[in-house]
Amino acid sequence: MNDGQAQTRIWDWTVRLFHWLIVLIVPALWWTADQGLMDWHKRLGLTMFALLLFRLTWGVVGTWTARFLPMLRQLLSLPSYLKNLVAGNHEPSFGHSPLGTLSVIALLGLLSVQVTTGLFSVDVDGLESGPLATLVAFKTGRELADIHELNFDLLVIFIALHISAIAVYRWLFKNDLIRPMVTGMRSDIQAPTTIVVHVWELAIGIAVALAGVYGVTRLG
Amino acid sequence: MKFPRVNIAVPAIATVLMLSACGETGGSDATSDATSEAASAPLPNGMTVQQQIEARQGQLEKVGEAFKAISDQLKADSPDIAIIQEAAAAVPEATQDMADWWPEGSGPESGVETDALPSIWENMADFQEKVGNMKDAAAQLNVAAQSGDVVAVGEAFKATGGTCKACHDDYRLDD
Repeated sequence: MNDGQAQTRIWDWTVRLFHWLIVLIVPALWWTADQGLMDWHKRLGLTMFALLLFRLTWGVVGTWTARFLPMLRQLLSLPSYLKNLVAGNHEPSFGHSPLGTLSVIALLGLLSVQVTTGLFSVDVDGLESGPLATLVAFKTGRELADIHELNFDLLVIFIALHISAIAVYRWLFKNDLIRPMVTGMRSDIQAPTTIVVHVWELAIGIAVALAGVYGVTRLG
Repeated sequence: MKFPRVNIAVPAIATVLMLSACGETGGSDATSDATSEAASAPLPNGMTVQQQIEARQGQLEKVGEAFKAISDQLKADSPDIAIIQEAAAAVPEATQDMADWWPEGSGPESGVETDALPSIWENMADFQEKVGNMKDAAAQLNVAAQSGDVVAVGEAFKATGGTCKACHDDYRLDD
């Protein structure tokens, strides 16, 4: 039925690339830590740091559906959105739904805490440490490593919640959220604005990410 | 039919809850009594189990602190050899009597919180060999540090770290 309908772009390619890179890197980070492959853990962690810096910058300068301010404004309609959802009236959103916005805040927040504490973490033997651990005392580094460990559990819980929510939308509300996150397109929606990646905005995001990584390697 | 059921159910549930609450309190009291008894039991060396465990944890923390100081310098563009020397000298000093830190009875069976695994006391000869390896490596590290050769310190540091891990993998609770 949708064959003849026009496709509307809702997610730009940087948002999708960021999302799927995280899907790959988070399990890899867990695995390298579990196996004690700390050199790889640190390399991947620094990659995650760069990706997060890009995404946080993109939330300010990027495309409309990636931006934080419109997302936060959406939160005002969360009560009515939830009321409709419970009543079984679900309309696909252009970008993040009010509920999806909460998920973005939680997951980006937890990832930021994870990366930041990791930069300063020290292992129990004082043998391995994050690139900025030289700036803190052994005890402080140990405390941050404890937070790093606890926060990872929280991250796993919220990732599980995120995946469960996607399953509920798929089976209960007949709304496939995965396909648009791959293709960037939806056919069942009116776009209030166009989603186009501008080169200069992209340059700002990449510059902030690279400056962050450079700063960490210089300071550490 | 419903009312009598509720009337029976409420006191029944209340009784069960009270009984289980009593059981829990009694149980935890008994456990903590037994724990504190074992913790304050004197070891042949005169220390209590609690004191012994805290003492070795404190010494190993000093080692961790010294290792971090060395690792920080090895990461730096221009390592401060004086800091490395001080830290490298602190390790043999802190681990001088390390062979005596795990007397019989100072394991997790004492009830005192410790990451030391019971396998230490089941494989004491191997454990002591590993303690010896660590002390030898730490002595080498100190020699390298006092010679002022940062490259040699880097190699000796890796070797020493390896001896720590060799023991922790088998005899310490996973961090």
